[in-house]
Amino acid sequence: MSTLDRIAHLLQRDFDIPPDALQPGATLESLEIDSLRLIEIFFCIEDELGVQVPGEPGELRGRITTLGDLAAYIDEVAQGAGKVAALAVPPPAAGATSD
Amino acid sequence: MRRVVVTGMGVVSPIGNGVAAFLAALEAGRSGVRRLEAPFTPRLATRIAATAELDAPSHFPAPKLRMLDRVSQLALVAAAEALTQAGDALGGVDPEEAGVFVGTGMGGSATTDEGYRRLYDEGCDRLKPFSVLMAMTNAASSWIGLEHGMRGPNLTYSTACSSSAVAIGEAARRIAGGEAEVMVAGGAEAPLTFGTLKAWEALKTLASEDAEDPAASCKPFARDRSGLVLGEGAAMVVLEERERALARGVTPVAELCGYGLASDATHITRPSVEGQARAMRLALRSAKMAPAEIGYVNAHGTGTQANDAVETAAIREVFGAHASNLAVSSTKSMHGHLLGAAGALEFVAALLALREGMIPPTMNLRHPDPECDLDYVPNASRRSRGMAAAMSNSFAFGGTNAVLVARAC
Repeated sequence: MSTLDRIAHLLQRDFDIPPDALQPGATLESLEIDSLRLIEIFFCIEDELGVQVPGEPGELRGRITTLGDLAAYIDEVAQGAGKVAALAVPPPAAGATSD
Repeated sequence: MRRVVVTGMGVVSPIGNGVAAFLAALEAGRSGVRRLEAPFTPRLATRIAATAELDAPSHFPAPKLRMLDRVSQLALVAAAEALTQAGDALGGVDPEEAGVFVGTGMGGSATTDEGYRRLYDEGCDRLKPFSVLMAMTNAASSWIGLEHGMRGPNLTYSTACSSSAVAIGEAARRIAGGEAEVMVAGGAEAPLTFGTLKAWEALKTLASEDAEDPAASCKPFARDRSGLVLGEGAAMVVLEERERALARGVTPVAELCGYGLASDATHITRPSVEGQARAMRLALRSAKMAPAEIGYVNAHGTGTQANDAVETAAIREVFGAHASNLAVSSTKSMHGHLLGAAGALEFVAALLALREGMIPPTMNLRHPDPECDLDYVPNASRRSRGMAAAMSNSFAFGGTNAVLVARAC
């Protein structure tokens, strides 16, 4: 299942958004997702998809206007997290940090 | 000053949801006190409480429900019933002259409790995004205002166990003074969380469970009373200026004609005869009523040793010889102590007594206490014809005593 499908499923199940409305081109505005609702959706996505969503919804609203944008952003975050995990290096020794 | 009438009532309570169910339970003397069934129950010393049953998903769509602490759910359901019962109370009213005053002691305590559990118990580092909005004490009144487009004064009163009596009294003053036309006023409380129950347990004021019948554990005015039983729920009334209500053809439930507010300033918990008596006198004075006009007092009657004896003495002091003719009952014996919502729920009980000519009983009063020597309507409701007025007492930790008086219309 694609990220878009998973998000659409979540929005339908937990946010009572009718499946017909959940098209990739549907704007968040048309789905009545305001910035407060978006915070909650991120929270649910974090639980459901096991990713950590950085950034503040207020800032992200500029680049996320449609459901497709949201899915693409989550994919980007997930891939970024994957890269970080793959490149993980041991943290610096305690003594290396400055006071 | 303009006259204020009650045109609608709404109830979600441990003894029934909706005014009709609440009335039937009061009349039958039915108890809503039961043993709690929660994962944390085994860790409680006192395992009884008066729980309300609310099928929240049938009242709210899922996305909205996730923004509502239980206290707001209870408040919204009670407010909706009150407004429905009041007919078109908001029709033709400037929304800026329609307000909401709610009393609550604890606010969204389930959200706070759950948040702390996740942080401290589970070691989880993030809380639900709406935690602040759900837990804030003014959430319930804000949601009622939002839901019904009421843009006038929206305030939350928190004076512990008198919170909602204060909210109703203050709302009436806004209408009487011409600052508002319609007010939804009342209280909501949802304190049956592990943290809150433990805090109350520590205060040593909770009733011990009756060995034979847990439902009979709250015994106001009885010699064997052992404390209060916590309850949850909400009650709301719609208040309107009398002429306006009559002009739109509704029959008011009653006139809210008296409100007395007096502070003890003597002790943070210990009740005071002087403070309670003063609140009752002030309520009678604002109602321009003689004590003998009151037929029924819905007592604060918590079931604690201290309150019931002090309240009895205060009633005797205010009512003098008439105290012996007065019907006094504590409906907390059935619905428990709803803290911030208690004043509103018991005001509704007093209004129903007045309208229906039915005095609700004090249940579980088998062993009289010599210090409590009034007519408490023990163990069975009573018919009473032609009652002119009723009083509802609400006293509180912190010492804010609030008394409401209603006159039959």
